[in-house]
Amino acid sequence: MTPPQRSAGQHLDEMTLLLYLERQLDRERAADVSSHMQSCGDCMTLFRALDRESRLLTRAMLEEDEPLPARLASFQQRAKRSMQWIWMVTFGLAASGVYAIYTSYVEPVQSRLQDAGFGGTSLLGLLVFQSAFWKGWQSMLSLVEILAFLVIGVSAALLFRRWFRRGTLAALLVTGMCGALMLPANAAAFESRKGETVEITKEETIKGDIFLTGNRIVIDGTVDGDVYAFGQDIELNGHITGDLLAGSQTIRINGTVDGNLRGFVNTVTVPGTIGRNLMAWAQVVNIDSKGKVGRSLTSFCQTLGIDGQINGDVVSFNQAARIAGTIQGEMRAKGEMLTIKSTAHITGPVKFEGDKEPRVESGAVLTAGPVSYTKHTPDHREGGKGYLFFRLLWTSSFILYGMVLTLLMPKFAGDCVSSAENAGPSLGIGLLILLSTPIAAILACVTFVGLPLGLLTLALWFVLLFSAQIVFGSVIGRWILGPTEDTWGRVGRMALGMGILGVAVPIVHQTNHWIEFFFKLALMIWGMGAISLAIYKRLQRSSGAVVAPPMVA
Amino acid sequence: MGAPGTAESTEAIARARAGDPEAWGELYREYAPAIFRFCRRALPTREDAEDATMDVFVKVHEKLDQYDPSRPFSSWLYKVAANYCWDLLRRRKIRQDKETEDVDEVPLEHPDGNQLEQLIEQRTSEEVRKALDKLPTRARMALVMRYYSDMSYDEIADELGVRRAFVGVVLLRARHELRQALEGTGALAVGGAG
Repeated sequence: MTPPQRSAGQHLDEMTLLLYLERQLDRERAADVSSHMQSCGDCMTLFRALDRESRLLTRAMLEEDEPLPARLASFQQRAKRSMQWIWMVTFGLAASGVYAIYTSYVEPVQSRLQDAGFGGTSLLGLLVFQSAFWKGWQSMLSLVEILAFLVIGVSAALLFRRWFRRGTLAALLVTGMCGALMLPANAAAFESRKGETVEITKEETIKGDIFLTGNRIVIDGTVDGDVYAFGQDIELNGHITGDLLAGSQTIRINGTVDGNLRGFVNTVTVPGTIGRNLMAWAQVVNIDSKGKVGRSLTSFCQTLGIDGQINGDVVSFNQAARIAGTIQGEMRAKGEMLTIKSTAHITGPVKFEGDKEPRVESGAVLTAGPVSYTKHTPDHREGGKGYLFFRLLWTSSFILYGMVLTLLMPKFAGDCVSSAENAGPSLGIGLLILLSTPIAAILACVTFVGLPLGLLTLALWFVLLFSAQIVFGSVIGRWILGPTEDTWGRVGRMALGMGILGVAVPIVHQTNHWIEFFFKLALMIWGMGAISLAIYKRLQRSSGAVVAPPMVA
Repeated sequence: MGAPGTAESTEAIARARAGDPEAWGELYREYAPAIFRFCRRALPTREDAEDATMDVFVKVHEKLDQYDPSRPFSSWLYKVAANYCWDLLRRRKIRQDKETEDVDEVPLEHPDGNQLEQLIEQRTSEEVRKALDKLPTRARMALVMRYYSDMSYDEIADELGVRRAFVGVVLLRARHELRQALEGTGALAVGGAG
């Protein structure tokens, strides 16, 4: 560095001396300064004073005049908490956003659809907005509101924390919580009964929802709310003004359900009335000749029999369906066979996809025309000529997908393969992820608050599912060619492994479909476990700070 | 502060980079006091310094992969800390960025060395620290970067956003302001033999 070439009389200026002291002058200029100072006492004195000033500054700043604050000892925990705030704020904002979207768009549209009479006929609407779950969702909406307020309050407190003393903040939070607790609570009654035989007698009227568990459940009285019933046999002779959600061996509806019936049961028999929709996952579903469903019927069962009346659409996935009653809407069925008896009357179009042509007896009234039949043909996944071509295409796609993933995240790909070599933990965690993730995601979706989160989780789960085979392919490649740190080496091993799997799967397919199924399942579990372990290790690494030992102030 | 670049530190850094939480804890214990003091000298309040120390370490932990092991770890840490503190001052709009870089304003006096010696002898470290607190932000930041963390002129220029040639001017002006704060007069800063 060359300072301005001006001097203070015959002495060197302070700037030049400082730069000389700090070794910022070029060699030639430094030599001049050095030479000058040999013969100039004033400049040497100032130089020494500047040097002492520098030392004093350094000493004063380095001196440990105050101990390290105790707060810093747990700074990593604070970092973790700050992340939690970020998540809370994100969650709160997302929840508020979802709530706003619901109240602004979904609710009015839903209301208009209801007015137009489409409320119960859409499968999506039926699943999402009209089930017994809806009650739970409504409670969740209140929770969302409270959470949103809490998040806003806490965020504000954090934002203005500089102006609060700790006591003030604590007092504010406590006051806020007390205030929240003092708010009038929504009227909620939730009675429960359990025992060998649980009965609601004819004289009884239950106000509000009720939860029933027992070997035999008999409802002769009236429930002015929803019923959640789980037992061996359920019999309704009375009246439920809300929905009935049931899980049992058999369920018989002799009485009336004003709302919906959702059942996970072996046999459903309906000689009575269901005011709105019936959805059943069962072996046998029977709507007796006196039975009536106010809106739609959706069944996933082995045998469906309709002798009574359905006032909406029927959607069925059954082995065999027999229609002898009335359907005041469209029918869409998929299964092995469909029989429409002479007494049947269907006003909407009938679509059937099955193995055998539908049997329509003479006398049956199909107002919208004959049954539209599509023969079920086994696709490439079930065998057929194109199977090998499909496998080739499938394997190539996987290799390409795996190549992209490996090139994008070579280090992570290596971690996954390393984790996969620990077969026990990988299989254990893989099984856990395979089963628990979709359940958790569906539960999150059902609670409405977590709908986006649930859908995102499901999407990630599918990505994980498809990526699992690639991990296993890489492991096979590594077993054959040995470990490598080179990215393209990893890609090569993955491609080799996937190629081997591509050959192995059709061979297993020829042997036995079940063996193929379990073979693929094992691969997926193993691969999913390995990826999850690698992600876990990554997260543990990145949150390493959090577990660092606290520092003593 | 532990000697940067020692075998022990280097090993801890390598292990921390590989995700070892214990190693990260070691690094934190070793370097946190120094970073706290740096922030304490650079920022107006103790609370700011505490917050800044935490945030600097969070940043350092996030960016540990970007650290170049061929350079001293402490230098990198100070650079992150300086960057954070200067940015914080900017966000609070209390730093002076518009100070002139006019070379004509470079002080060319030759103050009395004996007077300066006398002033230095009379002042304690504590008085210097109190005087530092009274300095404008840029002057204080420059002195801290140079005389606390031993940052080079290039690094200081980079942080303050000035030309390298102007760093000496900033430092000399800062020293003058410090002397004024110590003395309560501008005698040493403006007076001179020459």
